[in-house]
Amino acid sequence: MVTAPIDVLFTEAEIRTRVGELAAAISRDYAGRDLLVVTVLKGGVYFLTDLTRALEIPVTIDFLAISSYRGGKGPTGVVRLLKDLDEEITGRSVLLVEDIIDTGLTASYLVRALQARDPADLAICTLLDKRVRRLVETLPIRYRGFEIPDVFVVGYGLDYRQLYRNLPYVGVLRADPAGA
Amino acid sequence: MAVRPGVRFAHESEAEFARILDFYGIRWEYEPRSFPLQWDAQGRVIESFSPDFYLPDLDLYVELTTLKQSLVTRKNRKLRRMRELYPEVRVKIFYGRDYRNLLAKYGLHPVRSR
Repeated sequence: MVTAPIDVLFTEAEIRTRVGELAAAISRDYAGRDLLVVTVLKGGVYFLTDLTRALEIPVTIDFLAISSYRGGKGPTGVVRLLKDLDEEITGRSVLLVEDIIDTGLTASYLVRALQARDPADLAICTLLDKRVRRLVETLPIRYRGFEIPDVFVVGYGLDYRQLYRNLPYVGVLRADPAGA
Repeated sequence: MAVRPGVRFAHESEAEFARILDFYGIRWEYEPRSFPLQWDAQGRVIESFSPDFYLPDLDLYVELTTLKQSLVTRKNRKLRRMRELYPEVRVKIFYGRDYRNLLAKYGLHPVRSR
């Protein structure tokens, strides 16, 4: 077990229950359709695998990877795809699975990139929704697991400096354990 | 601190925020408009509010507040007044903790105890 200054926000059991509820809704809404479930490496992996295993309809899964903002004093370039989808999405129903949406800047970029390929339908399923920090209000969020306050969360795919993704629960990181 | 020719930011936090917006392809303008909040008896503006950023694609003004609490309180008051006078204008305030958590997400700032 990982030890860190973390307060549990959603237990493993609570996440399992909520993921099951979301999967039931998705199975009902997408019955009979050609559904492609997509997530972004690395944060969405745990959610996608649990969610798709709970679905009761046939689906295809695929993965994207994008560059992260690195900061710095000078020009930092723009976000770009590090790994593109293997699947064609034109004319298909696409469900973008996200671990968390806060400002919506990343999701906004992904929606624009996917919409440009003319899917039949594009919607978002996010495990965590931090609406209090939202800048982009126009995202097509159709499913949300939990709404959370403005706290720094880790676990169940969410990291802090690449750590804590493997926690089976979602917790609030109270402070940088390195004391940086 | 310029990240765009002709734009000089008052604080490094504003320059960093502009770089984040650039990274995600979100267009921005820096302090493009002042909203009068209070007038004297002669109708002259004696108090106004100039949000730090306007994001035209989102039709949203953003104010960054990373300053001490007394200034935050004053800014909150201005923001309330602005919302009363200009209810059609969408404005979002980013407090210090919001901003630090945003940077922490990118590994650029440590997560602090609250």
